[in-house]
Amino acid sequence: MKLLPVIFKRQLASYACTPGTYLSVAIFLVLSVALGFHLSPWLEQDSSTLQVFFQLHPWLYLLLIPALAAQLWSDEANAGFLELMKTLPVTPFEWVIGKFLAAWVVVGVALLLTFPLVIIANYLGRADNAVIASQFLASWLLAGSYLSAGCFIFTCVRQRTVVVILTMGLLLTVSGLSSLLDALEHQAPIWVIDSLSSLNPLSRFSSLDDGKFALRDILYFISMILAFLTAATITLNYKHR
Amino acid sequence: MIEISNVTKYLDKKNIISDLSFSANQHECLGLFGEDPAVKTLLLNILSGTTSPSSGHVTVQGINPQVLKIKKAIGYQLDRDLGHPTMSANAFLHFIASIRGFHGAEKRARVEHAAMRLELWPILNAPLDTLCTGWKRKVAIAQAILHGPALLLLDEPTEGLAPDQRHTFRALIRSLTQEMTVIIASRHCDQLSELCTRALVLAGGRLVADTPLPDLQRDSRHFQAVTLTAQTPLDLLALAVLPGVAGIEEHRHAPGTVTVLAMPGHNISSHIHTLIASRRWQISSLHQESGRLNDVVHHLSREATL
Repeated sequence: MKLLPVIFKRQLASYACTPGTYLSVAIFLVLSVALGFHLSPWLEQDSSTLQVFFQLHPWLYLLLIPALAAQLWSDEANAGFLELMKTLPVTPFEWVIGKFLAAWVVVGVALLLTFPLVIIANYLGRADNAVIASQFLASWLLAGSYLSAGCFIFTCVRQRTVVVILTMGLLLTVSGLSSLLDALEHQAPIWVIDSLSSLNPLSRFSSLDDGKFALRDILYFISMILAFLTAATITLNYKHR
Repeated sequence: MIEISNVTKYLDKKNIISDLSFSANQHECLGLFGEDPAVKTLLLNILSGTTSPSSGHVTVQGINPQVLKIKKAIGYQLDRDLGHPTMSANAFLHFIASIRGFHGAEKRARVEHAAMRLELWPILNAPLDTLCTGWKRKVAIAQAILHGPALLLLDEPTEGLAPDQRHTFRALIRSLTQEMTVIIASRHCDQLSELCTRALVLAGGRLVADTPLPDLQRDSRHFQAVTLTAQTPLDLLALAVLPGVAGIEEHRHAPGTVTVLAMPGHNISSHIHTLIASRRWQISSLHQESGRLNDVVHHLSREATL
């Protein structure tokens, strides 16, 4: 556990000196604001929350998360570096968690950079800041679970492009789960639909997004993150043999 | 210090290392020789704890090297090239130092000391990817000695090293041997002949020789052979009948140069000197060989695989 901050700092520095990070965060911000304003008359409505923006986040994460996830293991893409890491007294646990936390912080910063919207909302009308905070948290948790999936994918395949494509594919599947549910609605037995919809992160996200701050939804995301990170640690442990 | 007993390793059901045993004490410098570089690398990996043997026991300071605690006592310079697109050598060494658990002034001192020993000053701020093989090796060695390990594993450390740097490299290894146990795997055995105290020769996955280095040199056909170059024609017959001469090799590509081989236990150089003086040959170079290790290792590997 002592080495967690070292790995964390190294990974943050690695994000900071890669132009790709800035590019993907910038694209995320521009798209999030531009699409939000374009798709709904938020300024005309007397809305107290930022839901029009946050409901886009699951789709925008399709761009941001694979880019960050590929960067997450770019140090180890070099075979010599990877071998060297094995000779150092670092446990896979510290390694995975440190890297994941750094990426999660980068997403958090990207989310916080949408703060002008909060100011505008406060300036234009009475904004419900508690709901907005819960929306931020929900979006961050969603990003965390996506990132942990990307983290796990790397431990199985090493090629950068494959990581990007697989992560994107996984996230697309998840995002498309709701349309699958709609298609199954009258054919499949109820328990299948129930279990699938309880697994769907998007429905969890939208319920959090509405400002319904339920412990069970937060726990869902946290357990998702923990499950993927544990899987990543175990895979790395296995590969060290 | 190191105990290896009956280690066997299978990779994809192929037997790479079979029934290998040896031990090493503190402040020894072991040379690991053999034709197949993969076997040597695998053995170093087992010693460093990155790979576990299929059967057998390995202990470093009495502890299995896969235990995290003992990794702190091991420094390993890998054969694989280091590389990183943006990290500079300095940042890399600092990163390794903090992973090794140093911080603050001590970390800086450790990095500086390692950089000084390897003379890394000119390239400290260059990204790792831009360095040539020789410099990458040096950074990798600096990384391995940073924390003052008790056991240092070097895999082909002289690769890409310029000939004029060999001398400083030798001095470095000699000073390191004072502080720790060093194991060097290399295919350039002759370069290490003055450094290593013991030689382990691996062939066909087995240990075929574990002897002090001078003994291995004594096995060479060229042990105490004398190579001389003359400007005047030599009387080869007169050389051949000198006491203790086992044979004469003429160098096809350098006319006037011959190597006179000695029989085991005979010193022929004094006889040759007397002969040269009495015949008044004009000799431009003459030196006595200490034995060609490469030949011996090659010979041993041949014998083992037959």
